[in-house]
Amino acid sequence: MSEATDVTEGERTAYAKDVLVDAKGVKVHFPIKRGVIFDKVIGHVYAVDGVDLQIRTGETYGLVGESGSGKSTLGRAILNLEPPTEGTVEFDGVDIASLSGETLRKKRQDIQMVFQDPMGSLDPRQSVESLLLEGMKAHGLAKDEAHASKRLRELLSAVGLPSAALKKYPHEFSGGQRQRIGIARALSVNPKLIVADEPVSALDVSVQAQVINLLEDLQEEFGLTYLVVAHDLAVVRHISDRIGVMYLGAIAEEAEADDLYAQPLHPYTRALMSAVPVPDPLVEDRRERIILTGDLPSPANPPKGCRFHTRCPWKQETKCDTERPVLRVPEIPGVGTGHRVACHWTEQIESGEIQPHEVKAQLVEQHGAGGDESLLGPASISEAL
Amino acid sequence: MTDTLSTSQPHPRSDSDEPLLSVRDLTVTFQRAGDEPFVAVDGVSFDLRPGDTLGIVGESGSGKSVTSLAIMGLLPERGVRVTGEVLYNGQDLLKLSPTQMRDRRGAELGMIFQDPLSSLNPVVPIGLQVTEVLERHRGLSRKAAMPLAKEMLDRVGIPDPDRRLKDYPHQLSGGMRQRALIAMALAAEPRVLIADEPTTALDVTIQAQILAVLKDLVEDTGTALIMITHDLGVVAGLVDTVNVMYAGRVVERAARHPLFAEPRHPYTAGLLASIPRLDGSRGERLQPIPGSVADNLPWTSACAFAPRCSQPIDQCRAQTPELVQHDDRALRCFNPMEVTR
Ligand SMILES: Nc1ncnc2c1ncn2[C@@H]1O[C@H](COP(=O)(O)OP(=O)(O)OP(=O)(O)O)[C@@H](O)[C@H]1O
Ligand SMILES: Nc1ncnc2c1ncn2[C@@H]1O[C@H](COP(=O)(O)OP(=O)(O)OP(=O)(O)O)[C@@H](O)[C@H]1O
Ligand code: SF4
Ligand SMILES: [Mg+2]
Ligand SMILES: [Mg+2]
Repeated sequence: MSEATDVTEGERTAYAKDVLVDAKGVKVHFPIKRGVIFDKVIGHVYAVDGVDLQIRTGETYGLVGESGSGKSTLGRAILNLEPPTEGTVEFDGVDIASLSGETLRKKRQDIQMVFQDPMGSLDPRQSVESLLLEGMKAHGLAKDEAHASKRLRELLSAVGLPSAALKKYPHEFSGGQRQRIGIARALSVNPKLIVADEPVSALDVSVQAQVINLLEDLQEEFGLTYLVVAHDLAVVRHISDRIGVMYLGAIAEEAEADDLYAQPLHPYTRALMSAVPVPDPLVEDRRERIILTGDLPSPANPPKGCRFHTRCPWKQETKCDTERPVLRVPEIPGVGTGHRVACHWTEQIESGEIQPHEVKAQLVEQHGAGGDESLLGPASISEAL
Repeated sequence: MTDTLSTSQPHPRSDSDEPLLSVRDLTVTFQRAGDEPFVAVDGVSFDLRPGDTLGIVGESGSGKSVTSLAIMGLLPERGVRVTGEVLYNGQDLLKLSPTQMRDRRGAELGMIFQDPLSSLNPVVPIGLQVTEVLERHRGLSRKAAMPLAKEMLDRVGIPDPDRRLKDYPHQLSGGMRQRALIAMALAAEPRVLIADEPTTALDVTIQAQILAVLKDLVEDTGTALIMITHDLGVVAGLVDTVNVMYAGRVVERAARHPLFAEPRHPYTAGLLASIPRLDGSRGERLQPIPGSVADNLPWTSACAFAPRCSQPIDQCRAQTPELVQHDDRALRCFNPMEVTR
């Protein structure tokens, strides 16, 4: 277990029964390689750097953060698509990394993924029927034809597509419908957990709501647990029960969705929240924005101490640039134990004892630790389970 | 805020009714070989006065970018037919030769795109690109332009501008590139600035920085702004007037306060009810707009939105609705939402 947590063993066992995913001290570091003949490792991208996270059965956990904060990598680590460099991920009480063969295959059936780009994740040469049957066959769920065809029709109706869709190909559908196909495919093997990485970001605004509502309905109907990864805080707040705010590979703040909105405590969450535009001129006109200066530092060269200190308007002379803050429950009256913040000065900032100041933007080198830019670009996620 | 950006007088905000830019019945038709002609922008009209800020919102494919490219004279010459008028100070830009238009672009009409890389020269350092604009459009010498270029990079929030002047576009992050592009577009002190999804590719905290920069600059220099975005939140805090586009046509136009307080076109109302709001109540279910743009009807014989509309009447599938001026807004709808207040 990493030190970046304050959940006591007592609390852990109390929750243990309904904890579906238990990630402890997860780190994913990607080596930056250089060299023509010998691949020399010249540094690392600290994509995920010490995350503890628990997802309870039946809840929706939302991971939010800016591009490059490590959301997708953490999601993939939880699926074991990206083996953690350090730390463990238990699913239903079992460390997935320790499994192999048949037991691993069975476990994998329980965790499915829905991707951002419905077109990129569906094979264009496969009909919807064959896309859906593929997973079912692989997991022995399409025993006989009658059974399979009943199941197919159930799936389509669950995601709101006509059964005529079975014979069609992905390009014959709109973006929203393709996302429904992607969701039907994830559902086809009766998973317990669905990891949805930016499930609505590629969709038109008018269609996003259809997919969000569908995800909510399916959760209710099938008792699913969701991990939703997204950069849109309004979407995440709407669908999540609990939210983790990521900054440079670590969770800066974690709370119930309503608590996070009502009382954001971490300076980064405060800034993020204040930056989200609201489609209401009355709100916009009297809003106080906390405008951050500069860019997100490179995850290949994260700042020492608090990772946010280079942009933090509340940064102090002591601690901030030397000690890494631990994710902890702050001592603030009315703030419950489910609300955790990784900032040294949470209490003093909330009480107003520490006031924000101007921050001079720091130069962020685009090349990290001499790394190749292509390495640092957002990774494409093309593998499916 | 200082006004270091503008060494000359800011453009006066005029109270006269004389529009600076007047778009009349702008129609853009793509003629793809062997295909039916496709009308991407269909009879769009609006006026822009000095100091005005105007928003164009609509979803993907609604014709926002094609509208701005047509105004800027940036559409390809082949396979496109542009009709209507784009009057700038009374002169129709559509009638200008490509060379004449090139002179106007940059000098009087500036544009910022979603992808700044496409409009920055990859082999020329940022500083030189800004100085070149200052030399060309403001008649400054290189010597005089350099410090001003540095000042402008600083003004748009680029840290360590001295060093950045020598950087090439690929050495900057997306947000920094967008700032460099804004600095360049504004270096010529254009009277009209068109920003096409300038923050869509950026993170929300960076978006807030860029929008703040744009807002200040527009306020300080009096440049008229056309803000194009699919994000209703972005226009809510920024522009005076909002045009909502659907399938190539403006369906509702109003000042931002009445528009958001009481959307009256069913599409505008539908959009507002379908997007989750950060400050919304979480338990409430979103009200999606059914179907997708694939269900649209042709405008020539119906309301394109009818198949997705919450309250269509028979007329909607049989006749073309025109953009009609009501009390506080223009509406293209046979059966607009009731006034509730
Ligand atoms: N396979 C990989 N090899 C090297 N670096 C990687 C790899 N995958 C991701 N990274 C880097 O790790 C960091 C975190 O990436 P990740 O995709 O998890 O971010 P994210 O929060 O999902 O961002 P986005 O919102 O852009 O999807 C980024 O700097 C990214 O470039
Ligand atoms: N060069 C072109 N040739 C043919 N069709 C085009 C061309 N450019 C745009 N179109 C079509 O015109 C329509 C309007 O496109 P436009 O780019 O203006 O949409 P938009 O509102 O800017 O959408 P987005 O939000 O995706 O940027 C689309 O259907 C598009 O496919
Ligand atoms: S620890 Fe310091 S730098 Fe980090 S968020 Fe708190 S105040 Fe800001
Ligand atoms: Mg991602
Ligand atoms: Mg566009």
